[in-house]
Amino acid sequence: MTSLAAAARRAAPVFACIGLLAAWQVASLALKNDSFPTAIEAIRAIPDILGDKESLINILASLRRMAIGFAIAVLVSIPLGLLMGRSRAVAAFFNPLLMVIYPVPKAALMPIIMLWLGVGDITKTLVIFLGVSLPVIYHSFEGAKAVEEKMLWSGAAMGLSSVQRLVRIVLPAALPEILTGCRTGLVLALITMITSEMIARQSGAGNILFNALDMGQYDTVFAMIIIVGAMGICLDAIFERVRARLVRWSEPQFDMPLSFS
Amino acid sequence: MKVVPSRSNEWVGPVTSQRPASAIIEIDRVSQVFQTSARKDHLALSDISLTIEEGAFVSILGPSGCGKSTLLYIVGGFVSPTSGGAKMKGKTITGPGPDRGPVFQEFALFPWKTVLGNVMYGPRQQGVRPTEAEVQSRALIEMVGLKGYENFYPKELSGGMKQRVALARTLAYHPEVLLMDEPFGALDAHTRTRLQNDLLNIWERDRKTVLFVTHSVDEAVFLSDKVVMMSKSPGRIRQVIDIDLPRPRRRNELLLDPRYQKYVVDIERMFDEVDDPGSRS
Ligand SMILES: Nc1ncnc2c1ncn2[C@@H]1O[C@H](COP(=O)(O)OP(=O)(O)OP(=O)(O)O)[C@@H](O)[C@H]1O
Ligand SMILES: [Mg+2]
Repeated sequence: MTSLAAAARRAAPVFACIGLLAAWQVASLALKNDSFPTAIEAIRAIPDILGDKESLINILASLRRMAIGFAIAVLVSIPLGLLMGRSRAVAAFFNPLLMVIYPVPKAALMPIIMLWLGVGDITKTLVIFLGVSLPVIYHSFEGAKAVEEKMLWSGAAMGLSSVQRLVRIVLPAALPEILTGCRTGLVLALITMITSEMIARQSGAGNILFNALDMGQYDTVFAMIIIVGAMGICLDAIFERVRARLVRWSEPQFDMPLSFS
Repeated sequence: MKVVPSRSNEWVGPVTSQRPASAIIEIDRVSQVFQTSARKDHLALSDISLTIEEGAFVSILGPSGCGKSTLLYIVGGFVSPTSGGAKMKGKTITGPGPDRGPVFQEFALFPWKTVLGNVMYGPRQQGVRPTEAEVQSRALIEMVGLKGYENFYPKELSGGMKQRVALARTLAYHPEVLLMDEPFGALDAHTRTRLQNDLLNIWERDRKTVLFVTHSVDEAVFLSDKVVMMSKSPGRIRQVIDIDLPRPRRRNELLLDPRYQKYVVDIERMFDEVDDPGSRS
């Protein structure tokens, strides 16, 4: 029984993908629209893209910007969020600023940033940075706020200074929440990466996608969508692995059947 | 002759010379007011004065909500009182420090650390070398009956086990004063008795000062030199009872001792008077 359940769990994502592709294939055949290639046509176009050196360089350049933007955002946002969560004054100062930035789509800021910093890597990385920062700040903030006071008191009694308490108690205690924010941030990094390249066409995965769209190469467009989607799935899966390792101590028991199975 | 400071009106500053030779903690006219959510002032502690001698085992006994934990937090330096103050060895308490080790009602273990990691945390912070800290910590874990659980995370432990880890974690950094907030509250009767005996053994060996909050009269009489009886709304000291029973105390002897029985009966009666149902409704 359990091995069957385990096998089902492992096979589930594969079935989901196959099901999605099949639905696409059927829908595309039914619609008979030039701008909606079948799943098979799109998949056939993938090797062409990945085999092309130019395209590969573009995609890697995108990933590099994304990695840099994500890394800087995490490094800045976690300390900021934690400080906000433990200090009323810091929270009171930053909260209004963040509330202003929060609802603005980060890509909408791009034209302005482009005026200041040009259409190069810096602009795109900055937009990714902005997109990732907010969820990470927010979750770090919430996580730090929820840290049990007595835990901090225990640390203080052992002689930890306030900085040590922030790094050695608040940070680990809030880590599950922080990593939830980082996971959202990672997906947002991918989204802002593509949109930034849509606005500032110059290089990157988004550039390939939107150029193909302009030229009516719809199989390439959809092949790029698959590639970007696959990148998202892989990044998320890798991140989830790391996350699960880091917060093993806090994981709730997962497989509690509701009523089925 | 020395003046008696706890009755004097001039209680300011860390005047070391005036403190009674053996007093380690002096609580002087402490009151604590809490703002409740309804924006009303709630007097949790009213005019508490208490001197605790070095090496004494003092229990605080009182009904739920009378401010026992709050008093402990003030001595720990986690909460500063609305008025009055407390001193440790003649120095005004302004914050927490490793000389006063708390064991909280809520355990407050570090969930990302294993049992061993939790117990080693204090010694490591104090600069004890890892190998040495580990040896000491393993011994403490064995003492509280958790041998074999060193690599378990707190979420994998029962309530009583967590409480024992919390006790071991605090003992591990050798505070001069132990501040224990119902440390045996979540334990079954058997483990409770065992840990009471262990605590007494440790205490009789090291003569640490212990401030021990409980609502078990038996436990208070069995362990203590002094029982502080508190009453509720506002939290006040109703009476301080010296427990004049010989040490070392053996449970099986003590339970049969008429003096022990009289203490328990007397204090239980006092408890009933203090916790009258009228004030609880
Ligand atoms: N942070 C706080 N804000 C407002 N009121 C508080 C706060 N902490 C405690 N109180 C109030 O102070 C009183 C004393 O609380 P305390 O926790 O010290 O009681 P206790 O004697 O330890 O009770 P128990 O035996 O149930 O643990 C209670 O009436 C409680 O409502
Ligand atoms: Mg309490």
